Amino acid sequence: MNIVLIILKWLFHILVFPGFLFTLCAALLLAGIDRKLVARMQNRVGPPLLQPAYDLLKLFGKEIIIPRQANKKAFLSAPAVGLASLLVTSLLLPFSASFVAVSGVADVIVVLYLLTIPAVAIIVGAASSASPFAGVGLSREMVAVMAYELPLTIVLVTVCRKAGLMMDESGMTFSLATVMQYQAEHGAMITKLSMIPAALAMLFIIPCEVGAHPFDIAEAETEICEGTLAEYSGLPLAFYELAHYVKMFILTSLFCVLFLGGFTTGVVVVDLILRLIFCVVVTFLCITVPHAVCARFKVEQVFKFYWTWVLGLALVSLLLVWLGL
Amino acid sequence: MLRKLIDESAAKSPWIYHINAGSCNGCDIELVSVLTPRYDAERCGFKLTGSPRHADIVVVSGPITVQTRDRVVRTLSQVPEPKVVVALGSCPRSGNVFKGSYSIDGPLDKYCHVDVSVAGCTPKPEAIIAGLAKAAEILKEKRKEMH
Ligand code: SF4
Repeated sequence: MNIVLIILKWLFHILVFPGFLFTLCAALLLAGIDRKLVARMQNRVGPPLLQPAYDLLKLFGKEIIIPRQANKKAFLSAPAVGLASLLVTSLLLPFSASFVAVSGVADVIVVLYLLTIPAVAIIVGAASSASPFAGVGLSREMVAVMAYELPLTIVLVTVCRKAGLMMDESGMTFSLATVMQYQAEHGAMITKLSMIPAALAMLFIIPCEVGAHPFDIAEAETEICEGTLAEYSGLPLAFYELAHYVKMFILTSLFCVLFLGGFTTGVVVVDLILRLIFCVVVTFLCITVPHAVCARFKVEQVFKFYWTWVLGLALVSLLLVWLGL
Repeated sequence: MLRKLIDESAAKSPWIYHINAGSCNGCDIELVSVLTPRYDAERCGFKLTGSPRHADIVVVSGPITVQTRDRVVRTLSQVPEPKVVVALGSCPRSGNVFKGSYSIDGPLDKYCHVDVSVAGCTPKPEAIIAGLAKAAEILKEKRKEMH
């Protein structure tokens, strides 16, 4: 009897909340709000809030074209793998210090790896599609991955150290639940002076990791015909679009966990609404505003920007935390 | 139920791919103006894509020159079903001022079925939006015929 209950609970976590269904709905909503806000900032009416959902449904009904020279298996499975790894990540993110679907001793490291898989999936899919545009796109995607991965790792280490100093005798924790616990007791990370550069760095990392507009060098539709996605149509393309939206939600949610963790009440529904509101605010700051005001960067500009400014910000934070500030 | 939702969304999210088949660039600029804040076609879900594989509506402008003819045919065959072809401006339907030129091999309907034709040189943005809206309707019909 007990086992059945536990299995049911797991299924609920994986399929409904906070896994599959909830993440998809939240991601679609977030993407819709983002598009609407961009339009409003450019003084347009903008698409309806449900536009991302319409786009996806339409793509479900389109023909799937597989290029003759493509590696069929890799071409079709790459989008699914990318999406799946993102959905698994959603299980690991805690909503409050007490509520988390899956929790481990070192889930920060797992999240770091899981967040890399979608980018790898895009690269594999592009490489197997036998298109020169996808080839250019995948090399650019690799540059982007290299650009943001190092600052992201340092930001995560900084947060873990900060929380670990207080919560763990070894001085280091790799558990997101502990990070939340720390913030519940000592106030959100963003209120600590030494963590503000890291939070800024994270705000810059999110749009590049998502592939949002000024940093979408790999999918530049005006230069290289959508780059990595050039050969995709129909259902696989829908998976990529969906992965894009889900990534937006996961990363903003991760930002909330790392830096805005203290503002929780313990009631799951209230926490949930708070989290969604924070996600919208973070999306507005780091995805919508750059999208509305910036033109696309060149490849080497992206790389330089991340390895100087963003990395510098992250390192400053790391140094301050290690000095015990 | 899902099938009906998909049919409905076909008309609500038409992605445009634009082929320039030797146009004078007048029509091309007008098509882009349709997406600017003043006319804002994105509120009906229109979006300009960079790859024919993502397209629902293919907009062809220009009188189909000998040089572009094969590329137009090839690009049109890359677009997944259901698709709608829109001829933009007077050029693709008749050759317009270029008619009779040795380098022209039009009109467009020699090579594919043209679903919507927006006349004018250049068509007004309002006319283009009306044409695209019509194309979105046809897209929905075509999607319904697919099953
Ligand atoms: S219809 Fe007129 S504006 Fe358009 S491409 Fe032809 S000549 Fe140029």
